[in-house]
Amino acid sequence: MSSSHSDTIPVRVAAIESVTSQIKRFTLEPLRGELPAFSGGSHIIVVMRGQDRVYRNPYSLMSSPQELENYQISVLRCDPSRGGSAFMHEQVRVGTELEIAHPVNLFALAKLARKQLLLAGGIGITPFMAQLHDLRLTRVPYELHYATRSPQHGAYCESLARAEPERVHLYHDCDRHFIDIEGLLSRQPLGTHVYVCGPAGMISRVLDTARALGWPESHVHYEKFAAPPTGEAFDVYLQKSGISVHVPADRSLLEAIEEAGVDAPYLCRGGVCGFCRTDVVGLDGEILHNDHFLSAEEKASGKVIMPCVSRARCRKLALNL
Amino acid sequence: MLITGIRSKPVYAPLQPDLGGRYHVMVGHGVGAGPLARLIGDFRTQAPDALSRTRVWYVTDAAATQDDARSLQAGGVGELRTFDAVDPLLTDLSASLDQALMGTRLYVAGPESFMGLVMRIAHGFNLAQDEVRAEECGSLARRVHCIHCRDTMENVRTNVVECRSCHRWLIVRDHYSRRFAAYMGVMVDAEVPGERPEIKEVFV
Repeated sequence: MSSSHSDTIPVRVAAIESVTSQIKRFTLEPLRGELPAFSGGSHIIVVMRGQDRVYRNPYSLMSSPQELENYQISVLRCDPSRGGSAFMHEQVRVGTELEIAHPVNLFALAKLARKQLLLAGGIGITPFMAQLHDLRLTRVPYELHYATRSPQHGAYCESLARAEPERVHLYHDCDRHFIDIEGLLSRQPLGTHVYVCGPAGMISRVLDTARALGWPESHVHYEKFAAPPTGEAFDVYLQKSGISVHVPADRSLLEAIEEAGVDAPYLCRGGVCGFCRTDVVGLDGEILHNDHFLSAEEKASGKVIMPCVSRARCRKLALNL
Repeated sequence: MLITGIRSKPVYAPLQPDLGGRYHVMVGHGVGAGPLARLIGDFRTQAPDALSRTRVWYVTDAAATQDDARSLQAGGVGELRTFDAVDPLLTDLSASLDQALMGTRLYVAGPESFMGLVMRIAHGFNLAQDEVRAEECGSLARRVHCIHCRDTMENVRTNVVECRSCHRWLIVRDHYSRRFAAYMGVMVDAEVPGERPEIKEVFV
């Protein structure tokens, strides 16, 4: 299982463009051959080897799934940054070589939908950029509603609106113009699927509104990559490996495990896919669950943890790794 | 056994209100009026407001009584549409679902062959499992699709049946196609012509 991420693909940065003051677009080309095929909504993990540590951040692919000569990602400079987005913005140049993991899609379009309704907030536009390429090849009706703080903060607003003015609807907070989530969700034809990617508050508003209006879970899709929160340092004992690992305040549990040389499973590194789910075999404090995958019961049980985003407040945490 | 233990066979359960839904569409055939009347009663107890957002499509058959249709009329739902044949009901239901909004739940009650036809329409509108509920009642007779000549027969009651088009003898499997809304019939004596199991009425 762990081999799924140990064979990374070496790429070179072919172009860097400033899209807004905070967002840069990176074009990544393979050192040899063609890049793997992917579907709209997929993300990759970019492995960045900094001076004293390795960053592995997930970014949605935004280029066309029909073009595999290169991949494009957009990176929002987070403030404060845990290091990854700052590394991409400051250290990476045209010609820099990086490694990426194979694309994984946790936000795929439903193939049998009668209508596709896409709701984007801010940098959450990126998975939709690739999905729009896929949707243009279908006959299924679709709409994109895209909210940004202002036109200056909105990546790709102009090109999207120019390409498909009848399907793309733009909203800017600065104009006090917001997506009417309730109005939109209350008048969609049977068989519509809704997709939301954006700030946590926007995602929960869409999920809550959809549920209140009777949308079944099978038709509601969201993607929320939580950056691993920092916190207090703690120690973890890896039972199968027989070693203790210190998790510093600014490292995630998964990162600390990887730095200790243990190959732990992961796919999304953002607390959504469930792939890194690990059994807890000892705990003398409390787990700080930050994922969106485990059920409330599982979180309360203290028997399982998602090391990519979750931490512990304890003297000793022991994992089955 | 050739015809059992196949997971595609649909699973049914007694109808219950899905109070997460905003609009409710109920479809019944013959004795299916019984479960629908019970469902409407459950709505009246649990969420009386929902009855005005509930519409019922019902087709009578020989087995149904006057009481069945009357029990639906007395239910106080937003609209009751009755038919005396299945095809016009299906056409009318399709036209209505084409205008329906997200938040709609579908409830179906009746013989399995009828429910299969309704489900096929529902799948065409991309309704998922969490939007559809079905309760089987009445005849277990099956729609059978001959995998050799692709004809479909109605009301098959026996484990082995002669295809009306290609005249092969078919064993009726539990292998169900939601797309065809039918069970698969596979030639039973292909290895040794004429060697067939005893014909029994099993779907009654």
